Amino acid sequence: MINYHPNDDMLLEHAKGSLSLAMTTALSAHCELCSICQEKLTTMTQQHAHIALIEEDAAADELETSIDLDDMLNSIMLLTPSSTSERLSQSAIVTVKGHEYQLPKAFRQQVRETWNGLGKISRMRLETDSGDARASLLHIDAGGEIPEHTHQGTELTLLLAGHFEDEFNRYGPGDFILLDSDHQHTPKTEDGCLCYTVVDAPLRFTKGISKLLNPIGELIY
Amino acid sequence: MQNIQSQRSQSRYAKGYVLYNKPYMEEKNSDITTEQLKEKLISVANSRSRSDYAMLFSYFAPKILAFGHQRLSTQGLAMDLVQETMTAVWTKAHLFDADKGAVTTWIFTIMRNRCFDMLRKVQHNREDTVSDDIWPIFETAEHVEPEDHMLTNKLMKHVDELPPLQQQIVRGIYLQELSQQELASKLNVPLGTVKSRLRLGLVKLRSILEKHHD
Repeated sequence: MINYHPNDDMLLEHAKGSLSLAMTTALSAHCELCSICQEKLTTMTQQHAHIALIEEDAAADELETSIDLDDMLNSIMLLTPSSTSERLSQSAIVTVKGHEYQLPKAFRQQVRETWNGLGKISRMRLETDSGDARASLLHIDAGGEIPEHTHQGTELTLLLAGHFEDEFNRYGPGDFILLDSDHQHTPKTEDGCLCYTVVDAPLRFTKGISKLLNPIGELIY
Repeated sequence: MQNIQSQRSQSRYAKGYVLYNKPYMEEKNSDITTEQLKEKLISVANSRSRSDYAMLFSYFAPKILAFGHQRLSTQGLAMDLVQETMTAVWTKAHLFDADKGAVTTWIFTIMRNRCFDMLRKVQHNREDTVSDDIWPIFETAEHVEPEDHMLTNKLMKHVDELPPLQQQIVRGIYLQELSQQELASKLNVPLGTVKSRLRLGLVKLRSILEKHHD
């Protein structure tokens, strides 16, 4: 049972294709796991397609007068139909600490080979489009914990497998958790978990000795 | 202002590419129903109808261009977006699955995905195409890949059977992917000659293929 979902604004921006790669990947992966949001997304995409391709008359008229598209039309019609659908439907599989996970399709071309580890925490850094954002797959072994921390920006966690708890709640696979700088939390996991996280600024740790970890906050997330 | 407006809408009809289906086009664009768009696309898929494709093109291209302008800022990139999206509509019409959604949704999905990849390429120099993993395009599954190689081989054999001049043009356009204009200047012949040799070559190829399929 998925209890935490992206809000409608985020879903709509995802449908429009106007989010960053890191965020839009998280939404795509959530929708693959969550039939409720998948259905919403389908409806929103239909509605937005209608707005963009049926209703947008004024802007289109304006451009059309100055541009001649005849050559393009004719050159396209010379092409022969493609006989394959270039769909590659295999999903991404990652292995970490002896566990194998099948990831949502959005990750297919994004996963890398290497995990960096620190105790029970393993991290695979993924590509992001925007300079400050960090996107990672984060694996926490059973019994693992991340020191209490706050965020300078927002932190998105999409739980892909397993469970974890913080001061607020217990989370399960598919949960989409967005926290901002008002939140302090100490996530820990009993059974181990795999998450996709996007933070748009490095984490800051707040508690005692773990403040020492601040310089390596970047290393974990 | 009134005057400019009416000139604009006149020029829409003055363009060659909207003239295929005159009575139809004289209605306001938004009067075209979802059902009619579907019929057009299916006719492109089944019979490669040029007039129906031209109609879809004249309907969607300006809107894709407007979308491209908003997202990609430059005229050249917006035109690329129109080209890539409308090429997919022509070459993949048969993959459209009407049971899974509307024509507008299908075309929007292609456009949004291509645009996302283009933006990544322009802004971050990424050559990958992650968009189709992120937003799957609803298409009928086809399992024709092995056959495709055979078809290519077979086609190539038949291209060899064409008269040399036609062969040269067909190879130039489809294998080297030159434009007709490029080919004309390369071979130092008028554009019209390229066009007519290509047409003859394709007609010939079709008749060879038909013979072999009987």
